[in-house]
Amino acid sequence: MINIQDIRDTARDLLAKGEVRAVIGWRAGSRGMPAEPVVITAPEQADELVWDPTCYHNLALHLVEDRKFLAHARKTAGAPIGIIAKGCDARAIVVLMQENYFKREDVYIIGVSCEGSGMIAEWKVARQLDGAVPTAAAFAGDEFAFATAAGEKRLPAREVMADRCLECRNPFPKEHNVALGEDKTGRALEAPFAALARFETRSEGERWEFWQRQFDRCIRCFACRSVCPMCYCEECVVDSINIAVAPETTAEEKANRIRWIERSAVKSENITYHMTRAIHLAGRCVDCGECERVCPVNIPLRLLNNKMEREARERFGYEPGASIGGPSLVASFRDDDPGAFIR
Amino acid sequence: MSEQQPYEPKIVAFLCKWCSSAGSDLAGVSRIQYPANATPITVPCSGSMSPMYILSAFNKGADGVLVSGCHIGDCHYMEGNFLARRKLHLVKELLQFIGVEENRFRMSWVSAAEGAKYAQVVKDFVEDLRPLGSQEKLKAQRT
Repeated sequence: MINIQDIRDTARDLLAKGEVRAVIGWRAGSRGMPAEPVVITAPEQADELVWDPTCYHNLALHLVEDRKFLAHARKTAGAPIGIIAKGCDARAIVVLMQENYFKREDVYIIGVSCEGSGMIAEWKVARQLDGAVPTAAAFAGDEFAFATAAGEKRLPAREVMADRCLECRNPFPKEHNVALGEDKTGRALEAPFAALARFETRSEGERWEFWQRQFDRCIRCFACRSVCPMCYCEECVVDSINIAVAPETTAEEKANRIRWIERSAVKSENITYHMTRAIHLAGRCVDCGECERVCPVNIPLRLLNNKMEREARERFGYEPGASIGGPSLVASFRDDDPGAFIR
Repeated sequence: MSEQQPYEPKIVAFLCKWCSSAGSDLAGVSRIQYPANATPITVPCSGSMSPMYILSAFNKGADGVLVSGCHIGDCHYMEGNFLARRKLHLVKELLQFIGVEENRFRMSWVSAAEGAKYAQVVKDFVEDLRPLGSQEKLKAQRT
């Protein structure tokens, strides 16, 4: 079990010594729970930091935002930025560094291990608490302790943990400057890709029936894109502004710009959007599951990303977020890659 | 008006500039008979294929998409087709995963000397596509 005081002390020390210019972490939300991401810049703010089962946000996203902010302001970073990272956050940071989005020395990773536990899925908690509104959550061994108006309620962790956490094999941030908590790499409370394996027993027709229903619901709010640390492109292929308009750009050129995907939320365009996203995330998605969590219409986006992840793992022996120096999935190959499907 | 035309699958064929394009050319100059369903689009290399091209072709109403490049080891750019093999494997898996018929997307290696093979690939593809009927799953719904 990680003592929250250790996290606060580490952050306070780093800020006091000036080793980092800020620390990205979590603080208690306005109604206690869930926690919310926070950037602290002064040592005395370190006491705001929390570590509980609602720290599900992937903080790597805020590293990306910081990088973009600096680039737009034409500033240099100076001291590195500190970040509290779970196993999945740390993998995301590794992928970003692998893609040279920032350098290793620009980031100070305070790794926190989820150990044998993980983050909650709010809908599972709501179902278990029968409408009681929890105001705080805490790790308690194999259980989570929720503070409600009717007193403390304890729920078995496995019943209310997010699916991605149940399937997680690497709750320990391998890439770190300092790590807190036990290394429980290899644990999986549920078999990895369990949901995917269950889904794949369906026939082709059933799969299509399922997905067309899901994609039909998509309202194209782009929450999945906004929350994803890997979706850092300044220009996205789905935005129909992908044209550099200069004074000499003619009206015809503007009218004839390539629109790969229309913006309207119709099924065919939604499918193309989500397929494109899945392909762009192949070998980069670290399965933090944030896209699925933020989806307002509950599209099971993790299934798509998991499919690509498992394909990469089983066919190409590729593990996203494993090494900073290694080649990326689609920019490398092996002589014995599967090719039997090619005539 | 006249009676209904029999269904003919529309194929978009992305052919690499160095091998398959020349292969299709050879099929033509050799006067090999093969179905006229494939619309060839020359790409610089099979490795330059963006998955967007494939999705976009389906979105615009293609019944089948064929990607053809040089044989492994023969790539003009040394390793383009190795990259294509990996990348398009993922596209193929993803298409099948969401329930698009396996036979809608096909890949082949056709060298510049294999005009007969190109004709055969297109012939087989058309035969496999015919029973599937027109592709409506990914086609844009223009209202």
